[in-house]
Amino acid sequence: MVLALDSHFRASEFRILRFLGFLEGIKAGTEFRSVNCGDKTQEIGVESLQFGEEIQRLISVPQESGTSFTALLELPTTQAMKLLHSPESHETPVDLSGEVWSNGRIDRPKPYHSQSFTCPPTFLSNTALLEHASRFPLFATTENSPETSSIPSNSSANSHKVKQEPVDSDSNPDSSPIALKGATKKSKNVANEASEDGEKLPYVHVRARRGQATDSHSLAERARREKINARMKLLQELVPGCNKISGTAMVLDEIINHVQSLQRQVELLSMRLAAVDPRIDFNLDSLLAAESGSLMDSNFPGVVMPLMWPEELVNGSRQQYQQQPWHFDGLHQPVCMREEDNPNFITLENSLLSYDSSANSASLQPNQLKMEL
Amino acid sequence: MGPPSSIKKKFLKKWITGLQICSSSKENMSLFERKKAIKLSADVAMASARNATTCWSRALIANASKDDNNKILVDHILGTESERLKKASIGSVMCNNKRVRSKKILKKSCSFRRVKKMAPQMVLASSIAKRLVKKRTLVLKSLVPGGEAMDESSLIEETLDYIISLRAQIDVMRRLANASEHLNLK
Repeated sequence: MVLALDSHFRASEFRILRFLGFLEGIKAGTEFRSVNCGDKTQEIGVESLQFGEEIQRLISVPQESGTSFTALLELPTTQAMKLLHSPESHETPVDLSGEVWSNGRIDRPKPYHSQSFTCPPTFLSNTALLEHASRFPLFATTENSPETSSIPSNSSANSHKVKQEPVDSDSNPDSSPIALKGATKKSKNVANEASEDGEKLPYVHVRARRGQATDSHSLAERARREKINARMKLLQELVPGCNKISGTAMVLDEIINHVQSLQRQVELLSMRLAAVDPRIDFNLDSLLAAESGSLMDSNFPGVVMPLMWPEELVNGSRQQYQQQPWHFDGLHQPVCMREEDNPNFITLENSLLSYDSSANSASLQPNQLKMEL
Repeated sequence: MGPPSSIKKKFLKKWITGLQICSSSKENMSLFERKKAIKLSADVAMASARNATTCWSRALIANASKDDNNKILVDHILGTESERLKKASIGSVMCNNKRVRSKKILKKSCSFRRVKKMAPQMVLASSIAKRLVKKRTLVLKSLVPGGEAMDESSLIEETLDYIISLRAQIDVMRRLANASEHLNLK
């Protein structure tokens, strides 16, 4: 059974997150691991070469399909895409030198130094590491075998192994990390042949992780962890003030505080509106009575706008509307710059209903507003 | 950049529907009842603006539909989609309940625990950290509607979505509140 990359993803928007977690979450975990693959460095180097190509492939696939989730978060989109783009921008090989690793064991020369990485240098090496670590059982059997021949056959066997892993975990969320892992192995087979040419493959060093890779449970759990870490990163960017905090517990604290404050604000605002309400009720009722049911279904702006206008007509006063830059589609300058009563008056309607400065008459407004919304 | 304006627009439309229904239905409501009705219509409007794609919105709608007092309001806000959305919400809530129960049973029955051999200091630190995180996750689950039935990763996703929706909701509500207050001062 071939683990196609696409077939296991539940929703395209999560590819990015999973992949990010897949790649970056290892960083935290691997700092402490001691490395014990002195004799395997050569093989590891080759696989890391191949893995880099797979990374690029993985990145290019979710890129266009990741719009739905990130489109929701318009701000985090840019951040998320930044996180994505940092590996994406390097099609050609990148040299991740041993600066990544504290023990700094570099066994091979670095011929492919084409571009500098903007993203953390641990990026590719972590992926290669995970990939290698996940194939650790494979290595146990093929320690000294020649790279090219043994690895393809063993990878296919291992892909089966990887797939059978977390039967007990959640079906969808974990299947994709496993798919990722399986796919990376598969791509290594493909990349294996190109390893000799190697100009396009990044050159990374892989360190095996000690004692953990063999267990299927730990692999699944690690994949889960990485997914969670990727999402936590997005959350950190969303919640103000979380960027500087390190440590999941503190970040969660901030997030909880933020959500609580948001909910409290909703309560407060609804209380304010309730206090104000009778007027609105009155206006709404009168409006509903005045304007027939044609307004009910589709032209809420029209209903809302006349809500404001009767006030003006009744009071005979003019208000100055302050422009509120609300990111509405086609937001123009607000029309009614009249003699001011309230310099800080911010009307919802003004923001909502962008109308041209030329149209000043009250009668024109509702129609315009209806059209524009 | 704040929440997308498309969400705000959708929310506003639905909310105004709800407000109109609120105001037209009852004449003499106390402040508290009015506030509750406003908040409820806002929440349901926000949840339905999500079109029941997210877990928290489904849970919110399901909770709101349970109460018979709110049924009319909820129905109107949900609009044409109301039947389908309600079914989806209630269905998902029931599935979630089953899932939660079965997870608990599984946890209790599964006594095997992998033992990690680490230095004593590290064991202490990591277990403390885990406990802290777990506590906070529980709190977060109680905050996000429908959070009880989610695992960690989906909980974080839902929190993300929920935070953005809340921000949009607050933005719209604040503007309306400001506007109406200024009007009332006239």
